[in-house]
Amino acid sequence: MEQLAWLSIIGRIAQQLLPVWIALIVVFALSIRFKRRLGLYGKLFDSYVGMVGFALVMFWVFTAIFADFIITHDPLAQLRGMRNAPPGSALPTPGAQYPHYLLGGDSLARDVFSRAVMGAREVLTIAPFAAMISFMIGISLGLPAGYFGGRLDTGLTFLANLVLAFPVILLFFLLVAPEIQQTAIPTVMAGILFLVPVLFVMVLLNARYFTQPLKRNLFVGAALLVGFWAYSGLAFNADPLGVWGMRANLLNVFVAVVFVNAPTVFRIVRGITMDIRTRDYVAAAQTRGEGPWYIMMWEILPNARGPLIVDFCLRIGYTTILLGTLGFFGLGVSPESPDWGSTINDGRRLLTVYPHPALVPALSLMSLVLGLNLLADGLREESLRD
Amino acid sequence: MLLFLARRIGVMLVTAICLTFVVFYLTNLPAKLETLAKTQAGTRISDAEVARWLDRHGYNQPMLVRYGEWLGVVPGWVREEPDGTIRGRCVGVRGVEAAGERCGILQGYWGHSTRFRAPVGEVIGARLGATGMLMLWVLIVMVPMALIVGILAGMREGSRTDRSLSTFAIASTATPEYVSGVLFIALLASSTVGLSPLLNQWGLMDAPVLFQGNARSALEGITFWNFTLPVMTIALYGMGYIARITRASMTEVMTQQYIRTARLKGVTFPNIVLKHALRNALIAPFTVIMLQIPWLLNGVVIVEVLFSYPGFGWTLFEAAVNNDIELLLAASVVAVIVVLLTQLISDIGYVYLNPRIRVT
Amino acid sequence: MTDFQTAKRAVHPAARMYARECLEGKLDRREFLTRATALGVSATAAYGLIGLAAPAARADTPQEGGELRIQMDIRAQRDPRTWDWSELANVCRGWLEYMVQYERDGSLTPILLESWEANEDATEYTLNIRQGVTWNNGDPFTAEDVAHNFERWADASVEGNSMVSRMVAISEDGRLRDGAVEVVDEHTLRLHLDRPDIAMIVNLADYPAAVVHPSFDGDPIGNPIGTGPYRPVSHQTGIGAVVERNPDHTWWNEGNGAWLDRIEFIDLGTDPSAWVASAEGDEIDMLYETTGDFLDIFTAIGMEQTEAVTAATLAVRFNQESPPYDNRDVRRALQMAVDNETVLELGYNDQGVVAENHHVCPIHPEYAEMDPPEYDPDAAREMLEEAGFGDYEFELISSDESFHTATCDNVAAQIRAAGITINRTILPGATFWNDWLTYPFSATSWAMRPLGVQVLNLAYRSGEAWNETAFSNEEFDETLAEANGIADADERREVMARLQQIMREEGVLIQPYWRSLFRHARPGIHNAEMHPTFEVHYQYYWKS
Repeated sequence: MEQLAWLSIIGRIAQQLLPVWIALIVVFALSIRFKRRLGLYGKLFDSYVGMVGFALVMFWVFTAIFADFIITHDPLAQLRGMRNAPPGSALPTPGAQYPHYLLGGDSLARDVFSRAVMGAREVLTIAPFAAMISFMIGISLGLPAGYFGGRLDTGLTFLANLVLAFPVILLFFLLVAPEIQQTAIPTVMAGILFLVPVLFVMVLLNARYFTQPLKRNLFVGAALLVGFWAYSGLAFNADPLGVWGMRANLLNVFVAVVFVNAPTVFRIVRGITMDIRTRDYVAAAQTRGEGPWYIMMWEILPNARGPLIVDFCLRIGYTTILLGTLGFFGLGVSPESPDWGSTINDGRRLLTVYPHPALVPALSLMSLVLGLNLLADGLREESLRD
Repeated sequence: MLLFLARRIGVMLVTAICLTFVVFYLTNLPAKLETLAKTQAGTRISDAEVARWLDRHGYNQPMLVRYGEWLGVVPGWVREEPDGTIRGRCVGVRGVEAAGERCGILQGYWGHSTRFRAPVGEVIGARLGATGMLMLWVLIVMVPMALIVGILAGMREGSRTDRSLSTFAIASTATPEYVSGVLFIALLASSTVGLSPLLNQWGLMDAPVLFQGNARSALEGITFWNFTLPVMTIALYGMGYIARITRASMTEVMTQQYIRTARLKGVTFPNIVLKHALRNALIAPFTVIMLQIPWLLNGVVIVEVLFSYPGFGWTLFEAAVNNDIELLLAASVVAVIVVLLTQLISDIGYVYLNPRIRVT
Repeated sequence: MTDFQTAKRAVHPAARMYARECLEGKLDRREFLTRATALGVSATAAYGLIGLAAPAARADTPQEGGELRIQMDIRAQRDPRTWDWSELANVCRGWLEYMVQYERDGSLTPILLESWEANEDATEYTLNIRQGVTWNNGDPFTAEDVAHNFERWADASVEGNSMVSRMVAISEDGRLRDGAVEVVDEHTLRLHLDRPDIAMIVNLADYPAAVVHPSFDGDPIGNPIGTGPYRPVSHQTGIGAVVERNPDHTWWNEGNGAWLDRIEFIDLGTDPSAWVASAEGDEIDMLYETTGDFLDIFTAIGMEQTEAVTAATLAVRFNQESPPYDNRDVRRALQMAVDNETVLELGYNDQGVVAENHHVCPIHPEYAEMDPPEYDPDAAREMLEEAGFGDYEFELISSDESFHTATCDNVAAQIRAAGITINRTILPGATFWNDWLTYPFSATSWAMRPLGVQVLNLAYRSGEAWNETAFSNEEFDETLAEANGIADADERREVMARLQQIMREEGVLIQPYWRSLFRHARPGIHNAEMHPTFEVHYQYYWKS
């Protein structure tokens, strides 16, 4: 076996990514074909910027989904003779394995390509999930604060500003320390933070169906069951069936990221709510005698979705960067984890001699965040257009 | 206006107290205190020695009492050693006679840094100065650059200039400091790869590297060569956001009626932009720039650590890593003041620039 | 006089090892010479080892003057006896001197001692204090001052006093035993030990054993009374320190050192890429230590590399009190799943010598040769299953220091490759030490000690304060006690063979390699080669 040339490296990578290409083509073909029927999502395909952004994001999403088929090696396996091997190096004794390290080896002789691919999965499970929880918390608190105003608003706004006055890094150092993991603090915080989404879904359904008790009981009951099942596993690691679960340090990182993001979402939602509250259709619903939660959840929230979706995309990108920052300060998710932040940090020290171990995850991270930003831009433009 | 100011300052105080208590609580957990004792008295000391060290240095009292000591509302701890010397919180500051008096923030005493073995006030003061220089240069570079990019892009929406500049702005926000800083060092400050070996080869440069990849020497004197990379790293990441806000604000202004009128009147395009559009287009970016300052703090920590420039961010990092309680507390007070002060300035500036709004 | 007391051993054992490899053709001649001379073997002697005559060489005479800038961590200073980092000692070496000095080639040089003698069973030492030494405040240096230092070292009431464990044989109830130190006359001191201790003098070369003035109050910077030729100018934790030649003091060794005018230590943090950036910007002349891939980088930018083969290591140890590691088969199985040579290559860049899981190094005088440890991943897996831990999820903890994580990641990867489930946990350096004695399975870095028995005494004897493996074996303790009383290295070797064997049979630790240490300095800096215990004797460096 010999060293591969650049062209053949690119060819082989493209070949490994085959499932991703197929999925992308299918999604784009279908979306463009039916774009008039798909609402805001369909309009995305009218904008060049939006399409590029969407393609970049979906590329990484599909990479994360099909990661098991794409990787050429175990991302944790270390093979002798492959330390800092340049891209396209052949394994000394391949055996049944894929005979090359397509993008070279890192300083511990692991396959850079497989790690970057697995890193996509790592990043794309934490970042959107954390952003989602932050959004649910921000919405659940921002809606009543903006709608009711008064003491509630003052109190919640003060709390949000308090968290925002913290330098993010200081907060991370305080919250993501191993000493904190030993205490009950992350569990308690997770217990509170994860409870909000469950309540959110419950209130959402209850407000919609409370006139039809039968349907209401069914939906709310089902939501509660699933909600608390996930809740017990995620927050307390006490899932009886063992489906939901989170390692202590991951939970710790997760809680810290949610804690940092939620106040900003809260401020955005509060601002929008205060604005929409004065609209005619809200007044109409009030005259109809609808309850406040119905108005908030089913009148105000749907009308606020444009800016919220845009911010959601941006926030996933920001969360990805934040996770990388944690990796930079050695507060990362899991020690051998292939997540991009930690790999960039591991590789950056030797950047001048062996650029590939750091450049590959760095470019991956940049392209994903760029994609999310472009997508947000496209969505903003298109949602402003109607 | 005065009432408004008074209320804001009141909020600031309450925020600072809440925040420092949280920091105090999290840095005084038993496990954290054990870490502190081990970094102070020796990494491999036994549990009994840890307990004795904590006792001897006044860490064995209830947390609330010690928080009160730090604030200066509770008398400082006093302890008499078997050999008769008196130790205490205030002894180090005001001598033995003052043992048992109050000495905390209210008395102007910020505590003692266990990491740097110096009064906290001194440490923070010196480091803030260094960071001030860094921030000053970042703002000098970042703000004009962002405004120019934003205005050029927003002048003619949808043009090719707009597309390429907007993409540049987005790309810069997608490149966090820990990526761009590292790339800058590799490209511009390495004698083996990047630009420097080429310049050397072509005989355009005598020094082995173009820029210094380390900003330590900037403490003694800032030069173009040692300060460019850290400044650029922060400025690049912060710039994109301001540029995008400016662009959005500019495009909005350019569609206003009075601009159309001016255009119909025959005013030249540069004149329209400079004389009519600019002032109104700059209101939004101004508030954003002010709000950006506390947010830059994040980047400052990364960059100061990356370029080993001992400023405020670097101090914060050192204090956090070494669990230097009183230094961390002081740092968080400074951070709160910076955040809330910039908010205040941004509010006042907003009013000043936009006569339609009044402070109530 | 026995081996540990003689002033110079002719040739470093590692150099002999290299010579053997060179003659067998495993090492080329040039490489051999570089390595052998880097070990302090003179070029002539090195040529002699491989049976050649040295080419004629020119001797250098030291030049006076100049300034040296050294990259090194500057930590908050404290009382020398509580020092836990050799960096702390290195700053103060210019004024706080030691009784004896450990040299790069493994020999001891008397500094504040002129000579010493021990009785046959190493229970009584006579120390002859150097004459004509004065403190830099003008006081004469006497045997009383030395006795005062022994008293300080034996004081267990000071938290973190790491000399206490070295002074066990002359202390009682946490302080110096009455009559243990006898001042014979102004320049003679006698130590009466209550048990044989062959390491007594060697211990005085350890970095916390700096000799201080009777008026010392715990701050070596604020109160810099010492016997050496330099004095501190400034000291800022985390930033740097400056030391300059003391013009108001006549050093006892005048004319044989103190060449440099000024030494500046610069703290650039723990990230080696920052050091590279700084070296490229011409802000430093010398590194404290270079590791891993950075060796090539610093060499590439024109700095010269020196090497010290040491008995420093990373002990990936089990704690036998926490299940499942109380089961010997589990420990042995995990040991067997790891190939030490692979760990050395992937985890430590091949910059050392393969070790054999018993914590006695070939450069120790009493090392007994042994077969390499068994490596058989399949058998390891089987053994674990038989022990009933086939599905157990193991966890390997390490601190975040780069070579610790790299080594442990590789150990974990190999165990995983054997079909055993294992997770990794990394703790920040400051936190790691909170529970270092009780982690079930973790890695601890151990510094070099000149004698093989020293670490065994410190870390593996039952009930020792630093016994992180919770190893408790009667036969081992007895054999070790026996070894402690044998002053002659060759005689001691026979007992050592048994000790090493017990360590292996009991599966006490995975000890993959002995670290070689490296340092880079600009060309023209002399005497600044890497030292096996990281010592920076800047009072003997000079620049040309």
